[in-house]
Order: sequence, then structure tokens, then C-alpha cells
Amino acid sequence: AGRERKGPETNIAAQSTHPSSANHSKEAPEKPNYALKLTLVGHTAAVSSVKFSPNGKWLASSSADKLIIIWGAYDGKYEKTLYGHNLEISDVAWSSDSSLLVSASDDKTLKIWDVRYGKRLKTLRGHRNYVFCCNFNPSSNLIISGSFDESVKIWEVKTGKCLKTLSAHSDPISAVQFNCNGSLIVSGSYDGLCRIWDAASGQCLKTLIDDDNPPVSFVKFSPNGKYILTATLNNTLKLWDYSRGRCLKTYTGHKNEKYCIFSSFSVTGGKWIVSGSEDNLVYIWNLQTKEIVQKLQGHTDVVISAACHPTENIIASAALENDKTIKLWMSNY
Amino acid sequence: MEGDGSDPEPPDAGEDSKSENGENAPIYCICRKPDINCFMIGCDNCNEWFHGDCIRITEKMAKAIREWYCRECREKDPKLEIRYRHKKSRERDGNERDGSEPRDEGGGRKRPVPDPDLQRRAGSGTGVGAMLARGSASPHKSSPQPLVATPSQHHQQQQQIKRSARMCGECEACRRTEDCGHCDFCRDMKKFGGPNKIRQKCRLRQCQLRARESYKYFPSSLSPVTPSESLPRPRRPPPTQQPPQPSQKLGRIREDEGAVASSAVKEPPEATATPEPLSDEDLPLDPDLYQDFCAGAFDDHGLPWMSDTEESPFLDPALRKRAVKVKHVKRREKKSEKKKEERYKRHRQKQKHKDKWKHPERADVKDPASLPQCLGPGCVRAAQPGSKYCSDDCGMKLAANRIYEILPQRIQQWQQSPCIAEEHGKKLLERIRREQQSARTRLQEMERRFHELEAIILRAKQQAVREDEESNENDSDDTDLQIFCVSCGHPINPRVALRHMERCYAKYESQTSFGSMYPTRIEGATRLFCDVYNPQSKTYCKRLQVLCPEHSRDPKVPADEVCGCPLVRDVFELTGDFCRLPKRQCNRHYCWEKLRRAEVDLERVRVWYKLDELFEQERNVRTAMTNRAGLLALMLHQTIQHDPLTTDLRSSADR
Repeated sequence: AGRERKGPETNIAAQSTHPSSANHSKEAPEKPNYALKLTLVGHTAAVSSVKFSPNGKWLASSSADKLIIIWGAYDGKYEKTLYGHNLEISDVAWSSDSSLLVSASDDKTLKIWDVRYGKRLKTLRGHRNYVFCCNFNPSSNLIISGSFDESVKIWEVKTGKCLKTLSAHSDPISAVQFNCNGSLIVSGSYDGLCRIWDAASGQCLKTLIDDDNPPVSFVKFSPNGKYILTATLNNTLKLWDYSRGRCLKTYTGHKNEKYCIFSSFSVTGGKWIVSGSEDNLVYIWNLQTKEIVQKLQGHTDVVISAACHPTENIIASAALENDKTIKLWMSNY
Repeated sequence: MEGDGSDPEPPDAGEDSKSENGENAPIYCICRKPDINCFMIGCDNCNEWFHGDCIRITEKMAKAIREWYCRECREKDPKLEIRYRHKKSRERDGNERDGSEPRDEGGGRKRPVPDPDLQRRAGSGTGVGAMLARGSASPHKSSPQPLVATPSQHHQQQQQIKRSARMCGECEACRRTEDCGHCDFCRDMKKFGGPNKIRQKCRLRQCQLRARESYKYFPSSLSPVTPSESLPRPRRPPPTQQPPQPSQKLGRIREDEGAVASSAVKEPPEATATPEPLSDEDLPLDPDLYQDFCAGAFDDHGLPWMSDTEESPFLDPALRKRAVKVKHVKRREKKSEKKKEERYKRHRQKQKHKDKWKHPERADVKDPASLPQCLGPGCVRAAQPGSKYCSDDCGMKLAANRIYEILPQRIQQWQQSPCIAEEHGKKLLERIRREQQSARTRLQEMERRFHELEAIILRAKQQAVREDEESNENDSDDTDLQIFCVSCGHPINPRVALRHMERCYAKYESQTSFGSMYPTRIEGATRLFCDVYNPQSKTYCKRLQVLCPEHSRDPKVPADEVCGCPLVRDVFELTGDFCRLPKRQCNRHYCWEKLRRAEVDLERVRVWYKLDELFEQERNVRTAMTNRAGLLALMLHQTIQHDPLTTDLRSSADR
């Protein structure tokens, strides 16, 4: 079990749009009231990932039917479809200006798309096995990708060339991300390790490891870049202070033993941790108290991905084959 | 004619000699020596090899021989007779004994069969048996031999058809002189650019009677090397197989083709050779058929294999791949035969399956109960196999019904809530239009300035010349300094610097081209771009026309023309006065009209670029708006609203 620190609250969102001082959090209600507003139907196979665009207008969803569909974020209306991959797509990510998308697919390639015109700009080849996760850096000139071939690759957006390959882990890589200023990279893998790298040199700065090492299914930096949220396949989510290598909070109650389920920080209203779960619910925890504050019901299959809107209190969740839909939930706070 | 008269040993002695001697060298001939470096001839009955010297048969004589039996065999069995090649030669010889005349035309082919070189090459260690095949292979590769007797050739050359353990010398394959170049074996040859790993004769030159089964032209057969030679033998393949081999094929031919001699003549030989199972079973020998087969069937075919239709089987990559492994596969006779059997069966099944696909109606007739019902509305017929409908019409009807039913509610769903993207699009369009408007006004502004400038220039021309002291303004000051021209690098007097540099630059620029493939099409009064067509690079010159040094020459300045440049005080303020110096002499205002015109034109070009961009943006927004909520989009996707009150998830008021 990870060690937890009681005491001063962990402030994860130094740069959110809403005032997030400690005073404010006392006034905020203790629980959100997310309610199902929209269901987006259209994928013909399991949805693997949903992401809101940084400007909040669009929602991109990738699926096992080899398509990426762009929906309007506020009204849920279908906008366009991006075709091109030959095999299932595992992940999709937006660039900071919301004009580019990168998608990672089982056909061992990543593709960069121009969203406005729906065109494929580049195909990034180099991985030797399924590409599982991808992300842009904050200045959106680099793309990072993690694959089943146990390596992390950094690509240049403009040319499509692989700049660096980090032999990061000894097992498939489940998540990679840059931090908010692009200087650090975090990668999580099935070997149970969560590693932090220096983006410029490719050196591994730190390895976070727990007592036993269950496969790490998801990692993410907090919005202020000080903490790391890791999800492991033993039904646990942990919040780490990575500079000290200590686990600060642990969130349990959901079910996660098989799939790499995305989780997210919700900072637009109250401070929540949002995650999907294999029991078809979306779990929301209070970040500080670690209590489950809400469970969203509506999906009929494993909720593989949950994303939070950058400015509004909207959550998008997506489920696997049995369901194939994306649901948009809205809350007042 | 006799040899040394030593006891003839039974054929198997050769094999035992290996163990007897304790050496690895098998021994041959009546002299029982292991020497294989001289010419040898093999008895077709007992399979013993004899040195030509020992039995007094020269290589040349042997060329004429088709079947040869050693003295002992002949004595034991009077029926065995030495047979010679080609009737013509036999008649010429007039005798049926060994004494055939030497007939050599260079390139005598009958090398000693157990070839020491080949022994080394046969890495698979199969023993002489394999080497013999190689031995017969190599000479063929190295030098082609004329086979078919043409009138121009010496008739004796017909006799030079090689005959060896792996070549009967009579069949079409043996008679070929050239490698086809397309089969897998040829493509492995060095001379066709291959890696020389397989090292076998051209497929089409594999003797149809004597070559290894897997080497023959059976493109469908991918079996590993067969094993009739699986056991290392010092000699050629087991004698038992030798005679029946040809007949095997014939029997099969008879079985497969139905027709016999006459049809065999017409059909290309490979048709008979292709069915894989040919080598599987033993069939009774039919000597008549054999004769026809060898003698008559293949004379008039030329090179049938070279026809295009045969290309594809050769290029079967699987075949090529498999062929490389031929050498290394373990030889297990039974197993491979079984494999071939299976493959044969599969081949047959595949045929049946293909037939099934070609005639789907038959399936209907056979078993209508098992087929699903067509999904067409109101249709009770059975669906086509592999389809959900009985016919295209049913499919179309169902699709139309589907659209009628589902589309209206989707449209309604779509219209229930305002489409935010649509609104954004409209706003964007507004903005673009406004920008386009402003761009156009700027253009008009530019036009006005252009006209102004022209007026100024015109007026300036009308001024009279007035020689002034102004011309000597900065005379004596600058004569010490030297400026270096930026283009040519020569030092120049600063007074004429401007003039020189302009000229110099123009000189260099006129040597380069700058253009694009498309001629300019702008509605406008004056020409912006030079647009002169360059036939060499097929481009239109895209420099400003007023500036282009390549395609426009500065007009000659008449002596009395005045400079006319409007003078300024403090750079920006027009004094209203004009430079009165003659243009030729004025060093300060060299080419001022050209430059001013160019300024205006450049501004215009910029505005056009901006307009272009705006057009592009507008076009994109329009296409996005028109393509939104299209038929496919609505049919394939759906947005279910659970809360009719909340159609817009934005919390703040709509922007």
C-alpha cells in the first residue's frame, strides 16, 4: 500500500481557469451532480478513447472500427470522420491549438491529421508492434508515442521523423505524456514501473515503483505538473508526488483489472478524479478526501475512457463493444 | 573389345566397397578402381560404371549411344542390345555395335559421371546419386548444346545429345539447349542474376524420364526433394526405377488425358507433366506408348514453354522459396509421398470447390432449405450464396425502405437542437466576407495611387531641362572612398554607385528565371506579373512586370529628358519641386519611376494574396457547412438527447 500524507491539501491545478484557492474549495459543494445529457451513436466497434479539444469545441473519439469521429463538444452533433488507418486505433490526442490530431493504431503507425480539412498530414512509421498511446507536447511540435514493442518514440510533427527512441520498459507501454511545460515525460508500462524522463536528453530521471508491481495501465501528469496520477490493474488509482517518489492519495472502489482505462483530473468545478471502470460505471472521487462522490450509470459495457472538458463541467465517457456509444454528462458544479 | 576380364561383380558391390575398403571412394569398372577422373559409361542394366579406357569405348563413341549394356549383361541376357541415337545416325553407321564413328563438334558433353568437383559441391551429403544429377546439370548450364537438327547444322550434331544418369537424351527436355530463364531454377542461376543456391538445371530441361521428380516442371508441386535417392548411394538411382520411370508417366498420361498417342503429339508436353500425382503411383509399362512418347510426340513443339501463359507458374514465389530448401530437407521417402498424396487430394478438392463457386445455382437446387431468406421487403426467395439478397433489386428496395424509415427521425433529431458548429461557421463566414471587403477597398486604393503616380511621372517628363550646379553637389567629397558593388564585387565610385549597382543587379537577375507553371489570371487593368512564357522550363515569369530584368529592357533615355523625381525635404515632405537634371546625369534618382511603380504593384500583389487566402477559407467553411448533416452522416450517426431542455452544454450564455 502506498504511503499517504495527511495534512495540507494537494493543490493540483495551479493554472485552472476557475479560481482554485483553498478558500474556494470549501465553498464548493461536496458532490457534483453529473447527469446524462447526450449519447453519441455512430461507431461500429468498441470505442477506445475520447478526448476533448483544448479549445473545448470538439470531441474526438477513436475506435476499433479504424475510424476517428469528431463530434461537437457542446451539442454532441456529428461533425466528420477521419479515415485512413488499417487496423484498430488505440488512442488519439489533440495538439494545443486544436488543429491537429495524432492517432495511434495497431497497424504500427501513427497518423497526424488536420482536423479542419479532414486530411491526413503524415504517417509516422517506426514502431515494431501495436502503438498504444500518443500525445503532443504543449508546443505541439513533438509527438510522443508508446507501443507494445516496449519503446517510447519521440517524433517531430513537421517532418514526421522519429527523433528519439527510449528503450523505456520491459513490457508494453500503456501511457505516455509530456508535462505542462514539455520538459518531462512520464511513461507507464505493464512491467509495473512508472518512469519519468527528461524530454531533452532522454535520460530517465525517476522510477516510481510500488510495493508489489501490478501493471500500470495509465499515467498522467496533474495540470500543474507536480503530481502524477497512475492507474494500476489492481483496481487502484494513485496520486504520487513524484519529486519525492511518494504516493499521496489512493482511490479505490472501482474495477480495473484488465483494460487500460483512461482517467482524468476534473478542475473546472470541484476537484475530482474521474475514471472509467469495468463494471460499466464512471467513478468520480473527491481528490482530497478520496471518497467516491458519484457513480455515473448508463453504459452497458466497460467504460474504457473518461475525459473532462477544459472549461465546462462536462465529462465524456466511452465504452467497449457491447455499447459502442459515447455519453456526455453535465454537472452544475 | 574385352576389358581386363576380371570377374564382374554384382552391382551392389559398388556400395559395399565403401565399407570394404575403408575409404570413402567407391570403386567401379572391371578394373575395380575408384578412379573417376576419366571418361566412364554406365550399364543400363546392372548400373555399374566402366572406364572408357578399360572397355575401349571413347567418349565420342559413347555420344552415339542411347542405351548401353556391359558385356556381361549382354552375355547373360541376349535381349539387351546397345542402342544408338537417332535412326539417321544408325543407318549411317550401318552397325549396331559399339563401333560408332567419332562425331564431335566441340563441346563434348559426356564428362565422367562421378565428378570430383561435384562431390564437393554436394553439401547435403547425399552421396553420388545426387552428384550425378548435378553432374548432368552442370554441363548443361555451362554450354548450351544444339539439339534440334536444323539444315544449317551439321547433321552429326544431332548425336551430341547428352545421355547420362539424369538425362535420357531423347525427351523434349533433354533436347532443349537453352535455359528458359523464368523458372525458379533458372532464376537461381548466376547467369540470370541468382544467388546460385539451388543449382539445378532449368525446369524445362529436367529430363522427363530420369530427372528427380521434384525437379521436373511441376509448378504446383512443392514437395521437397524426393527421396527415391534418399539413401546415399554411390551410383545412380536404384536400377529398379530406371526403366519403369518413363512408363510411369505414360500410364498416368493415359489416365489423365484419356487420349494417348495422337493427342500426345498435339499437346504440349508440359500438359502431361504438370499433374502432380504423376510420380506417385506405379503404372504398368506400355512399350508402344513409350516409343511414341519419345520418338514422335515432341518434335514439332519448338519451345512451348516460352509462351506467355506459362509465365505465372514459374513466378510462383512459394515455389521459388520452396525450391531453395530442396537441398536441405530431410529425405524421408514415405513421408513425402504421403505429402504429395495429400496435396493431390487437396488439389482435387480445390478444383471441386472452385466449381462450386462458379455455379452457385446448383447449390440452390441441391439444398434450398439451408439457405437464408432474402432480406428484401416481402421477398420469400432464397438469398444468393454469399449475399443477403436474392437480387440487386431486393437490396435496393430494402435500402430505400431503410432510408424512408430512419431518415426523417434523424433529421428531426438534428434539428431539435441548434448546431453549434453551424453557427460558428456562419460567424466565420461573416468575418471572412468582411475581410474580403476590406481587401477589395485596399485594392481600389492601390489603383488610385497607381494613377497618381503615373500622373506625376507624366508631368515630370514635361519639364524642361535645366542644367544646374546641383549636379556638382557632393563631388569632391567622396572621390576617396570606394564602394564595392554587392553583385559583382568591383570597387566603384560612390557617385555612380547606385546606377552601377542597379545595372549590375539587373544583369545577374536577367540570367535567372523565376516563374510558375500557371499564367496569371487576375481581373484588373494593368498587368502585375511579367508572365512571359519560358518554353524551356515551361513556366511563366512571375516577376513584377515593371521590374523584370529578364524580359524588359530599360528604354533608351533621350538626351533631353528630365529626371523629374519629386524632391522631398526630410525624407517625407514633398516640396512640390522636381529634379531638373537630365536623366542621364542624375545620380541620385536613378530609375525612380520604375521603383515607385514597383512599390505600388507590390502592394497590389499583397492584397491579392490576402484575397486569395480569404477565398480559400470561405470555400472551406462553405464545404464544411454543406457537408454537415448529409445523408450518410445522418444515417450512420445519431445524437440522442436525454434532456430536452438542455441542448447546449455550454454554461455561459451563447456567444
